[in-house]
Amino acid sequence: MKEFNSIEDILDFAINEEQMAADFYTELAGKMKNQEMKDTFEQYALEELGHRAKLEAVKNGKKYQVSETKITDMKIGDYLVDVDVDKTNITYQEALILAMKKEKIAFRLYNDLASASLDEPSKKLFLMLAMEEAKHKLRFEVEYDSNILTEN
Amino acid sequence: MERSEEYIKNERKQEWRVELQKMTKAKDRMSIERVQMTEMAPEERIKSQRVEVNVGLTKEEAILEAKRCMDCVNPTCMEGCPVSINIPKFIKYIERGDILEAASVLKETSALPAVCGRVCPQEVQCEQKCFYVEKLNLPSVAIGHLERFAADFERESGVISVPKLAEPNGVKVAVIGSGPSGLSFAGDMAKLGYDVTVFEALHEIGGVLKYGIPEFRLPNAVVDVEIESLRKMGVEFITNYIVGQTASLDDLKKEGYKAFYVGSGAGLPRFMNIPGENSNGIMSSNEYLTRVNLMGADSEESDTPILRGKNVVVVGGGNTAMDSVRTAKRLGAERAIIVYRRSEEEMPARVEEVHHAKQEGIEFLTLTNPIEYIADENSRVKQIKVQKMELGEPDASGRRRPIPMEGSEYMIEATVVVVAVGVSPNPLIPNSVEGLEVSKWGTIEVVKDKMQSSIPEVFAGGDIVRGGATVILAMGDGRKAAANMDIYLKEKYLSKKVEL
Repeated sequence: MKEFNSIEDILDFAINEEQMAADFYTELAGKMKNQEMKDTFEQYALEELGHRAKLEAVKNGKKYQVSETKITDMKIGDYLVDVDVDKTNITYQEALILAMKKEKIAFRLYNDLASASLDEPSKKLFLMLAMEEAKHKLRFEVEYDSNILTEN
Repeated sequence: MERSEEYIKNERKQEWRVELQKMTKAKDRMSIERVQMTEMAPEERIKSQRVEVNVGLTKEEAILEAKRCMDCVNPTCMEGCPVSINIPKFIKYIERGDILEAASVLKETSALPAVCGRVCPQEVQCEQKCFYVEKLNLPSVAIGHLERFAADFERESGVISVPKLAEPNGVKVAVIGSGPSGLSFAGDMAKLGYDVTVFEALHEIGGVLKYGIPEFRLPNAVVDVEIESLRKMGVEFITNYIVGQTASLDDLKKEGYKAFYVGSGAGLPRFMNIPGENSNGIMSSNEYLTRVNLMGADSEESDTPILRGKNVVVVGGGNTAMDSVRTAKRLGAERAIIVYRRSEEEMPARVEEVHHAKQEGIEFLTLTNPIEYIADENSRVKQIKVQKMELGEPDASGRRRPIPMEGSEYMIEATVVVVAVGVSPNPLIPNSVEGLEVSKWGTIEVVKDKMQSSIPEVFAGGDIVRGGATVILAMGDGRKAAANMDIYLKEKYLSKKVEL
């Protein structure tokens, strides 16, 4: 497992993760044949950059708290097959699956890092990051639940 | 068609209406119990796909039910009707025994009264707004049953009225798709004097009314009579013609069509994307129902018979799921099972359909979700791994979301699986017309209530705009589009300025 020597280290890692996610979506947007799906992935990329900006603010001294509220895990993405990201005609349903799965992976990563942390400040920071990812995932799950599983 | 408050009030003051109002005291009207629709016995009706469940009202029953209607000064029921049928007026004609007049009132604003009388969710529309429900907490007047009665009476009488038509204006308009939205639009435009052609991709006219709704709920013959009425109004129908493939909108423009109404529906199946979903024996409700309803694949003599099975599992809880599972029962399934992720309370299907399904022996596995299909050595589905669900706390929208219960997984046997979790818009027109604004869901973007798209001469409505809605909402869109296209075309081609 990756080792972190300071809080700053952790934040740099997380900032880089958000940037990589944004780059991933930007690349997907570039591949899409359909304008609406280009727009969708560009929007996802912007959201990831928004998360990056939030973390940069923390790095610059902005206070953060770990929310006590439990974030619902609808686990929709857990049971769905992976989306082929080499396709150029990804549908909005597939885009949501992709996003749910990516956020879940990020959530698990931060959660694992929190469990492995020996010092309290690092643990708290990883938990905050995990919670953020859980919130992002829930937003996609709710959209999927409301708009894809309309009759289920 | 004018539907102002003043118009409704004046209609209500007509001599014959006043006479009827005086003839029966309000308390006597209120003491009449709501009529019960006679139904075919479940054990009889499940023997055939083409035996209608609801039998219809007798004339005596209809007249008695019509008496319950208070002919309210402010008929709130009309607010609940997406096509603004003059409900008290048609009901009072029934009370008077003038059923053909009642049918003709329905046709003033509805191109498909016999259809709506059967498949509209009146319980959440006009009937929910009825005085009896709102003020007395009693069962509403059976508006839907009465609508069906009047429309059926006219059809069976053979004296079928044609609504008044304006003088032909020579302007050609094209309708893409012959489902409820397109038919409703076509009817209104024909009344306004336009030269209307409906292009249908399939070999039958009616769209989802034919391919989607089984004959035990809506006989094809009923739809055909309504289509015949439109033909009598001058509407032309062209089948086996795929706009976007057989010809483009530009090709049709060259043929003289000045404007278009896209009502191409939501016929694209949606799957769940869970492992094993590509196994043989798993199909969409679109395929299952279309093949039975439109292609006769339920017949033993069919060249391409539909797959039958001992255990048929239908995933979903909407009307399409109910139609599929009840079809499976009629095709001889020993166990026909609904698997639905939420509880029965959240089911989008009409209460009546769920009730009928239960009468027919359909099993319901609610709060249960498939997570994997298991196939045999020939890639044929044999089992479904399902998981129990529980409803979480209401979220910000107030909706309780289903959450899986870890460790609750178990297997159910399945020889055929029908997936009915939702549908997506048909992609052909949205993908083939340049400049047409489309949402990320693949629906056509229109100006609300005008139904006009980003291309001024292209209007759209029904499922291609809504992504999946009821027949009557689709019809309402068709009516709105017709009214607004009329304004657009009059300004562009029929105003004096242009004539000069």
